[in-house]
Amino acid sequence: MEHTEHLEHTESPADIKKQIWRTFWILSFLTVIDIVLYFALLSYHSMWKNTLFILLGVVKAFYIVAVFMHMKFERKALAGIIILPFMLVLVLIWLVLIEGGYTFDLR
Amino acid sequence: MANTTTLGAEKKYTWGGGKSPFTVSYGKLMMWIFLLSDAFSFSSLLVTYGFIRFTFPASGANEIVKPLSHTAENFVEAMREAHLFSPEHWPLPELVFNHFPFLHGLHLPLFFVSLMTFVLIFSSVTMVLAVEAGHRNAKKEVAFYMLLTIFGGLAFLGCQAWEWTQFITEGASLHGNPFGPTAFAALFFIVTGFHGFHVLSGVVLNFIIYVNVLDGTYERRGHYEMVEKVGLYWHFVDLVWVFVFTFFYLI
Repeated sequence: MEHTEHLEHTESPADIKKQIWRTFWILSFLTVIDIVLYFALLSYHSMWKNTLFILLGVVKAFYIVAVFMHMKFERKALAGIIILPFMLVLVLIWLVLIEGGYTFDLR
Repeated sequence: MANTTTLGAEKKYTWGGGKSPFTVSYGKLMMWIFLLSDAFSFSSLLVTYGFIRFTFPASGANEIVKPLSHTAENFVEAMREAHLFSPEHWPLPELVFNHFPFLHGLHLPLFFVSLMTFVLIFSSVTMVLAVEAGHRNAKKEVAFYMLLTIFGGLAFLGCQAWEWTQFITEGASLHGNPFGPTAFAALFFIVTGFHGFHVLSGVVLNFIIYVNVLDGTYERRGHYEMVEKVGLYWHFVDLVWVFVFTFFYLI
């Protein structure tokens, strides 16, 4: 602990609490959107529909990581260590989903 | 020229040694890196799921059963007869995940899993509130919010256990299920099981830290950073659930 300095919060505890609850409502709203979109887009089967759902998940992930896990207030370098490799993993997921489609065509 | 000198001085200050260049302590940094590695593990599972799933054709059907309608006693057999459940294609999630506790026989697609998602999000909120209380060294508040988080985790585990029981009663297992290809139930159990295991270990960790909070360990230490670290793990568990929910139920 001696080797660290705390990034000081400039907001009051009340402000921080407001931010936390605001993020909760945003996450809940996004989840409701998820469910509504699922039923609205039931008849479509396309890569775009899947991309949309993954995108919604990524948006939720950003809120959880940035606010709940405090990343927004940490050094950019820390954000880089975590976020950049994970962006690459998301690209991998996308590519393998496409690959799955091709394998299906081959079956 | 003055700019580069300042930048150089800044860089030397940050990376010159003797302090953490990321401002966070060793323990917190290592927790972050562990979570990154765990994210790779879950990603590989989800990638496998995506790949196997998309080698099967989709069922092609939609809006077969109206939500909130009553399902027949032999719903699964009826679906099999209608070829909506067949080993040749992946089943529609809303035909499989349509039960809700105490509401037997009602077709409630995705309702229960949505409830589980909200429970986990809410427990994440109480965890953040515990961390925030820790910043103010408010011991009683930290303990209160941690207890709520533990209850949220236990509620989620209970829900998942109930869901598994429904599934297993209907005949799903690692080597066969009545809904579709064998891989369907196998992947479901493996991925939700791996995630549930993380929730369980998170609850156990939270409980240990909760007891320490009550004991005054962190009060004596002067900071509640352990609550933050265990909070990071808990948020990660929530984060993974967001993606499991997306991949298994929505896509």
